[in-house]
Amino acid sequence: MTASALTRPGERDRPISKFLEIDWTFCLALCLIAGAGGLMLFSVAGGSWTPWAAPHVLRFSACFVLTIVLAMISLRVWFVAAYPVYAIGLALLVAVEVVGDISLGAQRWLQLGPVRLQPSEIMKIGLVLALARFYHGLPPHKAQFSWRLLIPLGLIGLPVLLVAHQPDLGTAVLIASTGAAMMVLAGLSLRVVGAAIVAALVAIPPFVLFVLHDYQRKRILTFLDPESDPSGSGYHILQSKIALGSGGLMGRGFGLGSQSQLNFLPEKQTDFIFATLAEEFGFVGCISVLFLYAAVIFMALRIASISHSHFGRLAAAGVTATFTLYVMINGAMVMGLAPVVGVPMPLLSYGGTVMLTVMIGFGLVMAVRVHRYDEVTSGRGALL
Amino acid sequence: MAEPSIFFSEVNERQGVFHRRAFLMGGLAGIGLTALAGRLAYLQLVQAQRYQKLAAGNQFNFQLVPPPRGLILDRNGVSLASNRPNFRLLVARDRGMDIDKTVDELAQLVPLGPDHIERLKKDIKRAPLKQPVSVMEDMTWEEFSRVNIRAPELPGVTADMGEVRVYPFGGAFAHVIGYVAKVSDRDLAAAGPNPDPVLLNPGFRIGRQGVERAFDSPLRGRAGATKAEVDAAGRVVKMDPGGDIPATAGKEVRLTLDADIQNRALEVMGNESGAIVMMDCRTGDVLCMVSAPSFDANRFVRGLTTPEYKALAEYERRPLLDKALTGLFPAGSTFKPTVALAALSAGVDPAAHVVCNGGWYFGGRTFRCWGRHGAQDMHNAIKNSCDVYFYQTAVRIGPDKIAAAAEAMGFNHEFDIGISGQKKGTIPSTAWKKAYFKSNPANQKWFPGESLSYGIGQGYVQVNALQLAVMTARLANGRKALNPRLIKSVGGVDQPRGDAAPDLPFPHEHLEIVRAGMAAVANDASGTAYRQSQLGLGEVKMAGKTGTAQVRSYDNAASRNSASVQWKLKDHNLFVAFAPVDDPRYAVSVIIEHGGLGGGTAGAPRAREVMRVALLKDPEVRARIEQPLPLPEIGDIAEGVAPNDAVAAPSGLPT
Repeated sequence: MTASALTRPGERDRPISKFLEIDWTFCLALCLIAGAGGLMLFSVAGGSWTPWAAPHVLRFSACFVLTIVLAMISLRVWFVAAYPVYAIGLALLVAVEVVGDISLGAQRWLQLGPVRLQPSEIMKIGLVLALARFYHGLPPHKAQFSWRLLIPLGLIGLPVLLVAHQPDLGTAVLIASTGAAMMVLAGLSLRVVGAAIVAALVAIPPFVLFVLHDYQRKRILTFLDPESDPSGSGYHILQSKIALGSGGLMGRGFGLGSQSQLNFLPEKQTDFIFATLAEEFGFVGCISVLFLYAAVIFMALRIASISHSHFGRLAAAGVTATFTLYVMINGAMVMGLAPVVGVPMPLLSYGGTVMLTVMIGFGLVMAVRVHRYDEVTSGRGALL
Repeated sequence: MAEPSIFFSEVNERQGVFHRRAFLMGGLAGIGLTALAGRLAYLQLVQAQRYQKLAAGNQFNFQLVPPPRGLILDRNGVSLASNRPNFRLLVARDRGMDIDKTVDELAQLVPLGPDHIERLKKDIKRAPLKQPVSVMEDMTWEEFSRVNIRAPELPGVTADMGEVRVYPFGGAFAHVIGYVAKVSDRDLAAAGPNPDPVLLNPGFRIGRQGVERAFDSPLRGRAGATKAEVDAAGRVVKMDPGGDIPATAGKEVRLTLDADIQNRALEVMGNESGAIVMMDCRTGDVLCMVSAPSFDANRFVRGLTTPEYKALAEYERRPLLDKALTGLFPAGSTFKPTVALAALSAGVDPAAHVVCNGGWYFGGRTFRCWGRHGAQDMHNAIKNSCDVYFYQTAVRIGPDKIAAAAEAMGFNHEFDIGISGQKKGTIPSTAWKKAYFKSNPANQKWFPGESLSYGIGQGYVQVNALQLAVMTARLANGRKALNPRLIKSVGGVDQPRGDAAPDLPFPHEHLEIVRAGMAAVANDASGTAYRQSQLGLGEVKMAGKTGTAQVRSYDNAASRNSASVQWKLKDHNLFVAFAPVDDPRYAVSVIIEHGGLGGGTAGAPRAREVMRVALLKDPEVRARIEQPLPLPEIGDIAEGVAPNDAVAAPSGLPT
């Protein structure tokens, strides 16, 4: 009983139809990745559900239900919520700047009653929604190159500057890259893209030398020559490479990775969980998980391209871009191809906030799929 | 329901752009993922072996087991340097460790002064990663267990039981045995690019002086290791006894010294500065070799504080200097037996007389004698230590003959006794003078006037206490040019004996004349050291020769023997002796730096005391001393007479 454009009016709005429209293959891929994460967290805790594996599985289950619920929400509601979510995210970023908790020298958290919020995570969704909504109402020739593109630039620039000031370079780069990807997807002139890339390449060295914090600069310099200080800043990269390399083809076996079990691997349950996976399950395990990630990315991209509304297309593609960047940055970092920045492997790493963000994002992606035939009014700010 | 947006051309156009761009993005994601997969393949398939090795290096840690240092024993097996257990507290710096906090918490567990805490923090921060730094040595058992209970919560902190060197006799052997001390950067540099890892162990001590330094390598042994699986914080997760390498203990070094004699020798030195060396004149074994004042070697093991070191280094009697080997002194009159031997070899008639009028006018000035002895033959000249006799004899035979005899007696020679630090001194000769005054041709010629002071062991003559002992031992032995032996055995392997030596180039009669002179010094009531040389051991007697070595010219001084003279300006006081006279076994030399005039006063009583210990320890000599009196038969003693009366009887004996 497939819902289609030829179904009776109102048929597609029935919850049961929507539920059946959900891409269950996609859901299966997400569950498998999160399951692999749970398995690894069980292992790094020395074969124990606590302190990481059980919360991880429970959180994923809760987030998964939330994703399904979000998938049922009409794109029109998402559309209307776009700017308010962005505004709330921005307001919280400003708030965290003023009253946020300082942890590890960076101001990232906001305590709202019992809830500890990381506004930069809300912003990841907020920015995707806001940009999608903006481009939805923009004529295509204007999306190529016009003065109106200053608006998306502003939409991207404000949160990026605020997040970078916390300072959280990893998230700032992630948000900026997501925004840039959406501008390109929306049709930004390729000449402008080329010029921007050239400008960025020119700007990076002075930026690294003069703008970054000492510890950030050190991370980058260490990345360029990790063996120069194997016990200092190069330690993370070196130990991660040792964990990966020692895994070999088949891995050292579940719970038998000495690098993670004996704590040589730093942040083994969060940023470097992929290295644990690599150590214990080897090349075969890694490729399997990478394959799952690739499946999620390409399925999400396909969902984006079958959407009938421009808002849906851009929103789904934006979420996909964020997710892809997470995977690429974390993967490159763990494999010693990128400097150490605090970007976790989505769904695999332990950590509630990132999981929530990613799963809300996938809720949006699924909502795009479920409501792919929906008309979203192009009127500027008009409700429904 | 509104018309589907798909029908608007503008919408259609941007859908097309989106599709192309999405395709592009998918392609980029594909390339990125492929790159990651490629990188994985490189690391996990191509370089797997290299990283597996590195992982094993992380996982397994060989913890060094320092070997117990070899014991140093005296000739009878008395331990002179041994080891005792030591509970120590160590902190090894590691990544992400809060050193200040760790040290502050340790200060709650063990007593640490505020200065010490600051210094520790600095030391630990400066130490290489994972290199343990000693926080406290010699903890009590309570402190040790307190730290051990808390150690799991304090990363990098370990409390272990090591060994520390202990010198039971403190200062008595300090110069011979030396001491061990912390390994310095210079030691590490000397050890080359791949130093023995035990050198880096915080409790390890390296031999610094004397036997500890000379035999550092056999004493050190070889370090072992325990294989353990460790986590990143260095905590042991699991031991792997199969991978352990046992430590090899250091070898035992046995000296020829006798602890009783050595201790007595240092004791009799009192506050004086100087040296006592005793040799067995049958074997060449050095029985005691003391330099005074001494220092407590145990303090060097722990590490001296600056004020402690300054006090030792700046004391004018120089406790850090080994006066037995490196202290050079004019031989003074103890040189006269050697000059007598030279004269006999040169054909001088020992019965010929020289008249002493209290001085001898020679070369335009009067060389004074310390007394007015009248007509002296060689025997009396030695007994009275008559300077005039030896002035004239020296001028007659010339310096080269004296030098030849002196060298045959062991002067101007560095003996191979196993430890370094000897200074061989000076025995002048015409050839020596030519070489010594190379840049001053006017002074290269030997002036007859110089022979005079040579004859009484002054002038250029410089000897050390060991050489004096060797001279006396050779004289007493009468046959062999004995070599001193200090190291009896190393690891159970005997070292060559001192009597494996060529014969002395002097006929027996000559030696007998000189020895008789020395016997008279100590046993003739008019000898220079008669009163001070009485052993009180019955028929076992000592022979000796006094010596006074002046440290300044007295030509213009009113009196040499002034009690008010500053220590630094007093004469050196020397004495050499051997005993028993009729069957020589032990030879001793005593040098009392600035001990004052007359070898009999400061040197002889000390030589006597040390000699007594050696003689009484010798069972054969003891048997001679303790032979029973030829008592009358039991029946002759009247009933009721207390045995004590027999003891009182000797008071009536003729003296």
